[in-house]
Amino acid sequence: MGDLTLIDASAYALQVLLIILAIAIVMHKNNGTIIILIASFSLVTASLYVLNSAPDVAIAEIAINSAIIPLIYVISISRQREYIILDKVNDDFIISDNSFTGIGYVILKRFADFYHLELNITNDPGLCALGEGEDQVLCEATNVDLIITKDTETNQYVFKGKNSSILIHKLEQLTKDHDNIRVVKFKDRDVGE
Amino acid sequence: MDPILTFIVVLIGFYGLSTSSNIIKSVFMVTIIESGIILLFLNLGNYQGGSIPIFSEQVTSIVDPLPQALMITTIVIGSTVTAMALMLSIKVFHYYGSIEWKDVLGREELKL
Repeated sequence: MGDLTLIDASAYALQVLLIILAIAIVMHKNNGTIIILIASFSLVTASLYVLNSAPDVAIAEIAINSAIIPLIYVISISRQREYIILDKVNDDFIISDNSFTGIGYVILKRFADFYHLELNITNDPGLCALGEGEDQVLCEATNVDLIITKDTETNQYVFKGKNSSILIHKLEQLTKDHDNIRVVKFKDRDVGE
Repeated sequence: MDPILTFIVVLIGFYGLSTSSNIIKSVFMVTIIESGIILLFLNLGNYQGGSIPIFSEQVTSIVDPLPQALMITTIVIGSTVTAMALMLSIKVFHYYGSIEWKDVLGREELKL
């Protein structure tokens, strides 16, 4: 009988700890802290499963919810604020002297720092080989957020992005003062009205 | 074990789901609700005097193994649902440029 009351007391203590952890997860603002709290929440629930005489469920809970799921959260949050830019311009607009010091890169870097984004500038030859008319299809079919091309007639750099994105509207306001930059927004063709 | 205390965890999860400001927070809250419901089901099959459902000579009475078998399935499916929701949140970021609910749902300024 003494063992039974000990088990009951520890079950109550763990349940109170579970409520405290749940309130902490609801109240916290930082997503990185919440991942740690989610992992410890899963460990407490796993020990409660053992106290409910279900050790097999506890093994599955520890392996999946406190090991793999925090890993998935970390990967997805680090990928979350990634802004993918396809650079089709082959002059010193973005890359000059083999480093990111061009005037276009300075503008984009200021934009990314203001909205807490991470720039990912690619120069993939397979995607750059597509023609000008394919840009809208490329924007819709892949995760590319911004395509930079050059208009040879007016000697302007053209930023192309999805009209549904808030960030392309912010970028248009930011580059209003620059005469050699033009922003083109692709409207949705089959989604919405 | 008190089912009331476990049900409080589920209610805290629903409170967080209704007040969360971005999509990632909502996915966290779904995880909390799921853990609470699993605990409620396991408590349902567990009764006094029953031992864990592993067969041996001395065991005479065991707890109900059916909720345990179902709850293992729930854990595995819940993990895939979480991974799917996070993948969709990345697609939402690339489409709307934000993962805050107020930007994704209320975008009157974008309906030009």
